[in-house]
Amino acid sequence: MTAKRLRTAIVLAISAVFLLAWAFPIIWSVLNSFKTDSDVLAYPPKLIFSPTLDAYRDVLFGSGSILPNLISSMIISVGTTVVTMLMAVPAAYALARLRFRGKKFAGFYVLTTQMLPPVGIIIPYFLVLRNIGWIDTYQGIILIYLSFSLPFAIWLLVSYFEDIPFEMEEAAFLDGASRLRTLWRIIIPQVRGGIAVTVVFVFLNAWNEFLFAVVLSGNTVRPVTVAMFNFVSVEQTLWAKLAAVSVLAMLPVVVLGVVAQKHIVKGLTVGAVKGGGRR
Amino acid sequence: MGASAIASAETGSHGASADFGHALAQRERRFAAALLAPAFLALLATTTFPLIFLVWTSTFRMNLAMPFMNGFVGFENYRVLLTDERFWSSLLISLVYTGATVALQVAIGLALALLVMDMKRGQGWFRLVAILPVVLSPAVVGMIWRTFMLAPDFGIVDFLAINAGLGSQNWLGDPTLAMVSVIAIHTWQWTPFAFMVLLASLASLPEDIYEAARLDRATAWQRFRRITLPLLRPAIVMVVIMRTMVALTAFAAIFTVTAGGPGTATEILNLYAYRKSFTELSIGYGAALAVALLFVTIIISGVLFVLRRAK
Repeated sequence: MTAKRLRTAIVLAISAVFLLAWAFPIIWSVLNSFKTDSDVLAYPPKLIFSPTLDAYRDVLFGSGSILPNLISSMIISVGTTVVTMLMAVPAAYALARLRFRGKKFAGFYVLTTQMLPPVGIIIPYFLVLRNIGWIDTYQGIILIYLSFSLPFAIWLLVSYFEDIPFEMEEAAFLDGASRLRTLWRIIIPQVRGGIAVTVVFVFLNAWNEFLFAVVLSGNTVRPVTVAMFNFVSVEQTLWAKLAAVSVLAMLPVVVLGVVAQKHIVKGLTVGAVKGGGRR
Repeated sequence: MGASAIASAETGSHGASADFGHALAQRERRFAAALLAPAFLALLATTTFPLIFLVWTSTFRMNLAMPFMNGFVGFENYRVLLTDERFWSSLLISLVYTGATVALQVAIGLALALLVMDMKRGQGWFRLVAILPVVLSPAVVGMIWRTFMLAPDFGIVDFLAINAGLGSQNWLGDPTLAMVSVIAIHTWQWTPFAFMVLLASLASLPEDIYEAARLDRATAWQRFRRITLPLLRPAIVMVVIMRTMVALTAFAAIFTVTAGGPGTATEILNLYAYRKSFTELSIGYGAALAVALLFVTIIISGVLFVLRRAK
């Protein structure tokens, strides 16, 4: 009995350590965002302090506000999500439900596109977009984001389309409904949940992207992941402000992640059965 | 319209004439082509075309700072690459980074999943907390660790090190410690992924095998070694493959923390290709490095897929 108790205690202790290890850096950033710089730099680190909203006020409304960058991130992520879904939903339906020659090859092609190292394809993107004047534009970044959001969205949606029974489509078709009408009226409503999950993940990946953004952005279009660097320079680090910006950059994805909690594993492992996956 | 109806029409078992079936199949093909066209055109434009352009670029001397020197050089960049010490050292760093992070993620993730699986209460906490790191941008994660966790003295890791009697360390300034730090950061962010996937597959293992093993008085270690591990193998291999691909092309979490430094101590191949192209503006050679990275990726994924098939 005591052995069992000891075991439980050890399990609890290990659990607590790991839970803390994962949560702490995030909690600590949140705490720091409510501090003054001198409280952030205090030694030993302060768990108890008088909270202030100064850092948030400064980064949102002060000079060098990151509000435009948050808006940039939002436009890029929403734009990427809309364009991706408009292309991915029909393509995923075709791959999941229709019969045509080269279907296997088409599915395989979508998977292989995920294997390309981003650092490789950013070089041609940069050269081409510079030539057509699309560096530092929304259309440029959104177009390039399709390279990772499309394969991901197509494969995630295929897995949901495959779950609907064929009978529904057959019934609608025998009733004389056109294919497009059947797809729109009968099929799409069936995969609403899958579409919602896909939207969450596409948005999340677009919001978090960094490599393409750092090369293709400029003074007009600069997402928050890149703008964060304004607060850390060789001369000085603006500690509390950096914490506030980090929290603002984390907020949307943490909310979405918690909302989509049940689907996280499926979203993270999509395409894995057959191939790659990326971030 | 379902594929099954088409199938029956094609085989003629539906009673319809062959012509009718043929017309239907053709209409279905056209419909499929129309639905696929936008996505495939976009993928061709954003993945396949850039790949061809990348390989083409790698056969040029192309320096944005010295455009007058530009020109076709054939395999010259690759010849230089083979004798480039910085290339070989970055490749080695890539392999160490990938091997260490993937091994740690799987080992810790599996151990935790086994620990948590039998918990009656508190599993929900793990599931919730595990989601936090994986949804974050690696750039933000890198920034948080670089500052609030690893800064000298008041950074929490350094604070703990001081209190543990290790003294204040230069976590990102010392070559070895910097490598340890970037490996730890990647492991911190992605172990929850391995944990969640392995926990999900553990939960789906059949209960009765364990019951039988218990009746046979198998020890816990035997049950793990003989039952759990073999049944879990597909999931573990999948995690290894996915995490290897991501670790090989990791960028933001190193770029924001050390930018490859100190010197080139944490410069993985990916980062070297970036620095060569966009810091040193030697785009032709950077492209050759990126092609080399693609080759390494293909070779490693080939090996992993063979391992997956084996047994």
